[in-house]
Amino acid sequence: MAKVTVDGRVVEVPNDANALEACRAAGVDVPHFCYHPRLSIVGQCRMCMVEVEGVPKIQASCTVPVRDGMVIKASTEKALAARNATMEFLLINHPLDCPICDQAGECKLQDNAFAAGLPVSRTSEPRRQFPGYDRTPIGPHVIADMTRCIQCTRCIRFCEEITETGELTFIERGGHTIVWTHEGKALDNDLSACAADVCPVGALTTRDFRFRKRVWWLDKTRSVCDGCEIGCNISIEHRDRIVYRFLPRVAPAVNDFWMCDYGRFRSEELNRQDFLKPEIRVAGGDAERRQTNWGEALDAVKAAIEKDPSKVRVIGSAFLTTEEAWLLAALCKDSLKVGSPEFTVDIGPKRRIRNKVDGWIYGSEAAPNSRGCEAAGLTRTSSLSSSSPAVLYISDASFSEKCKDPAFVAGLRQASVLIVHARTRNALTDAADIVLPVAPLSGKEGTFVNAKGLVQRIDTAIVSPPVVRTDLEVLLNLGARWNAFDTQWTARDVFEKMQASVAGYAGLAWDSDALVGNPPSISPAAAYDVLGLERDPGVEVFSRPSVTAPDRLP
Amino acid sequence: MSGLSPAPPVLLARIGKPNSVSLDSYVADGGYASWKKVLEGVKGGEWTPAKVTDMVKASGLRGRGGAGFPCGMKWTFVPTKEKRGDKPVYLLCNADESEPGTFKDRLLIEKDPHQILEGMMLASFALDVKHAYIYIRGEMVHGAEILDKAVAEAHEKGFLGTDVLGSGVDLTITVHRGAGAYICGEETALIESLEGKRGHPRIKPPFPAVSGAWGCPTVVNNVETLSCVKHIVDRGAEWFKGVGRNEKNTGPKLYCVSGHVEKPGVYEAPTGIPWEELLALAGGVRGGRKLKAVIPGGSSAPMLTAAEIAGVPMDFDGLVAAKSMFGSAGIIVMDETTDIPKAVTNIAKFYAHESCGQCTPCREGTPWLLKMLRRIVNGEGKKSDLDLLLQISNQMGNGMTICVFSDAAIAPVISGITKFRGEFEAYIEKSTKPEFEQKAPTDLTNEIADRKAAGIHS
Ligand SMILES: Cc1cc2nc3c(=O)[nH]c(=O)nc-3n(C[C@H](O)[C@H](O)[C@H](O)COP(=O)(O)O)c2cc1C
Ligand code: SF4
Ligand code: SF4
Repeated sequence: MAKVTVDGRVVEVPNDANALEACRAAGVDVPHFCYHPRLSIVGQCRMCMVEVEGVPKIQASCTVPVRDGMVIKASTEKALAARNATMEFLLINHPLDCPICDQAGECKLQDNAFAAGLPVSRTSEPRRQFPGYDRTPIGPHVIADMTRCIQCTRCIRFCEEITETGELTFIERGGHTIVWTHEGKALDNDLSACAADVCPVGALTTRDFRFRKRVWWLDKTRSVCDGCEIGCNISIEHRDRIVYRFLPRVAPAVNDFWMCDYGRFRSEELNRQDFLKPEIRVAGGDAERRQTNWGEALDAVKAAIEKDPSKVRVIGSAFLTTEEAWLLAALCKDSLKVGSPEFTVDIGPKRRIRNKVDGWIYGSEAAPNSRGCEAAGLTRTSSLSSSSPAVLYISDASFSEKCKDPAFVAGLRQASVLIVHARTRNALTDAADIVLPVAPLSGKEGTFVNAKGLVQRIDTAIVSPPVVRTDLEVLLNLGARWNAFDTQWTARDVFEKMQASVAGYAGLAWDSDALVGNPPSISPAAAYDVLGLERDPGVEVFSRPSVTAPDRLP
Repeated sequence: MSGLSPAPPVLLARIGKPNSVSLDSYVADGGYASWKKVLEGVKGGEWTPAKVTDMVKASGLRGRGGAGFPCGMKWTFVPTKEKRGDKPVYLLCNADESEPGTFKDRLLIEKDPHQILEGMMLASFALDVKHAYIYIRGEMVHGAEILDKAVAEAHEKGFLGTDVLGSGVDLTITVHRGAGAYICGEETALIESLEGKRGHPRIKPPFPAVSGAWGCPTVVNNVETLSCVKHIVDRGAEWFKGVGRNEKNTGPKLYCVSGHVEKPGVYEAPTGIPWEELLALAGGVRGGRKLKAVIPGGSSAPMLTAAEIAGVPMDFDGLVAAKSMFGSAGIIVMDETTDIPKAVTNIAKFYAHESCGQCTPCREGTPWLLKMLRRIVNGEGKKSDLDLLLQISNQMGNGMTICVFSDAAIAPVISGITKFRGEFEAYIEKSTKPEFEQKAPTDLTNEIADRKAAGIHS
């Protein structure tokens, strides 16, 4: 550790920290653009200028490695004048289009202009234009507008150093520098939208979110992506019951600052308004299904099960929270006496995410919580047995993609009574006798266990319409019919009841940081603000990565 | 013996001879004798790398590329074998010569390539280099062809390759063509470019001598610097030291004189030749006109008025004392007919075009300066422009950027406006811009203090 004095305050920082990080650790916020804790140091934006005692010239603090005993003066007249200067240079060509720019409100240029800029403009020259490089998609998810770019190269470094796909580059030179894809390439990799996250300004924005909502109206709820078992921490960003976007929430041991495009753009799924309603088919298989109320629906479930509990089969789903899975298992074991429920999970396309602890981590299951389900007492099967029980209870009907396949559904339909929890309509819900509509991710509360065995909490972003219940509520109400559960239990109550018996949950506190993770950041480009001082010690301080010398002879 | 007395040319000795580029003619003139001498002395321990380095140190040779850094000292910054381990050391010959007003390296390349190669060989020996590169400016197609041929010939004749002349020394030289960017002359940008990346200067430290090409210790030297090394080994450090004005400004030096002189060209003279003598070598000011100003070290050097340059020794320290710099010894002479605002605008155009675009102040500042200067010479200047130009310039230099390109870009603007303000004002007086736009620029110093007092700045 090195002892460093910043504006009279003494802080201890790791030996490999730089002066900018020392300032941040001392609570002196030095504005910056190109610095990012997970990207290499390039010292290009020249915003983080400070004075260092004993060094005559002003220094870009991110490029100055700390030394024990170093004295940094971050707020001298000279330092402030230097930052004013850089702000002025950045703004002379920046379009004043904040009113129509999606980044407004979470823009580092705006923030730093307020913090370090001057309220006057001294230029009267025409502003730079980039015809042909404005408002143009550069990949499936990202739209680029070079008039707003401040050439910080964060996006270029992201593609070189994090995804290692290298789609982006500088084109041209000097004041004409354009950040674009290499000729004939698209910004198309599995994490491509993160390039828009790291962009401090509105030069890169995502197609899906563009022009949809001013960011300051968005409510942010902590959640976990349910796209695969990696369990990237996310912020569900919503307003008036509409989900506008997912953003990654900083989780150094999981998704770090990133999330994959597949997971990110699942957000739109949460806006489906085709909610199901509780429905039952009373007589035999041929009668029409009719809408009903929850009381009647659950009574019907109980009646069907009680006819012959020995012939009941229950299938869970890795989309259940651990709390829900535990309720399902407890109900089966203690009340229905049908043995433990099974579940299966689709093996989907491989997903991956990178953090500095593990490097790349991979996910291959198409649901978030198979580990939690197992811990809660569900039995994992690779294929569902084809025995046809009298009653088949499935929670929920989206447990597998196969539930859209009529042939597969026909197999399940062999049961005399088919009961399903369902988030959305599919072939299986069409075939069911009793449909119990349940909330999607944004309406749920509980915990998932990810691929690394970490227990992570999700919060309710949007309370679903009254006709839709969470799986937790449904199971509690059903269990209450056998006097097994209390309908007033919350997810937290269930969490605390099951803790002792569920592997990996003992000793965890519902409200602990370990469970809830970091708060959503105000600006995705400065998401590391929530971490304070933290930089990857493996990131080289200088220049771009080097290759070995080519073996060339004349 | 005065170090400044005229002597037969050394660096330019072979220029103008028939077929001076061929190896045979070079050898016939005594070329490669030093290289042979050193190699033959390796086994007996008569010649060691340290001996060559010590000679260069003792000679007082300063870099001819622009910064004037003592060459021998730079070489000693390369970590010793124990410290660098398996890492090879690279020597890069900087042949990117693109500083406006500079054309000495090109002459050496096109007329006497083997002189450079021999200098590189000796430097490589001193630095334990196995692979040296010549990074040549993209536009110098002819020069690249000549160097390619010279290197091939040297390989063929056994002056390069493995176990050169049975000495156990290995050395390869590769000619690498740039793509014509001025910034690639900056040594770290040159290294990036050589590695196949964009020519972006690197953050220093680490300096190339510690971590340069492919992360290995690397010495970058100018064409002329390396050519001098050959002559130092030929004739000894004492001889080199004996030429030139004083201990710190030694050796024969190439001066590129251009502009309003009777005989523009490259002149060899002892380092520190007085301005008047140099001007006389170039035939004096064109047409007997009066001298107005001189840019003494390539476009990056602040210009000096006729009065300021009078009697100045044309060397590293002499020009620093005159508040300019020796740079690449590109001396641009401007007579009384020169329109300084237009000249400054022309130079500003060069820098706006050549900024690599990494650093905000340089990327944004150089075109801003150009736009304003253009406006002034196009008759749309405002009264406030000149102060603003100076203020912008002061925001661009002195550590505000990664490399000193930005400092170079502002030198002609600042010196031009401060020394010839009247000429700029004359343009502005004839301006067609309405009066109300001609307000004074905001005084930012007070602004900052006010905001600080108001607690707006942390
Ligand atoms: C913008 C810029 C351009 C430069 N261009 C050249 C050049 O064209 N040729 C050169 O030899 N040195 C050039 N230099 C200087 C080099 O960085 C370096 O100092 C020099 O090559 C070292 O060689 P020397 O010690 O032999 O002078 C340039 C420097 C800067 C900042
Ligand atoms: S597009 Fe954004 S992230 Fe990329 S260089 Fe420009 S401002 Fe930086
Ligand atoms: S000062 Fe200019 S030329 Fe030098 S690195 Fe910065 S932008 Fe590039």
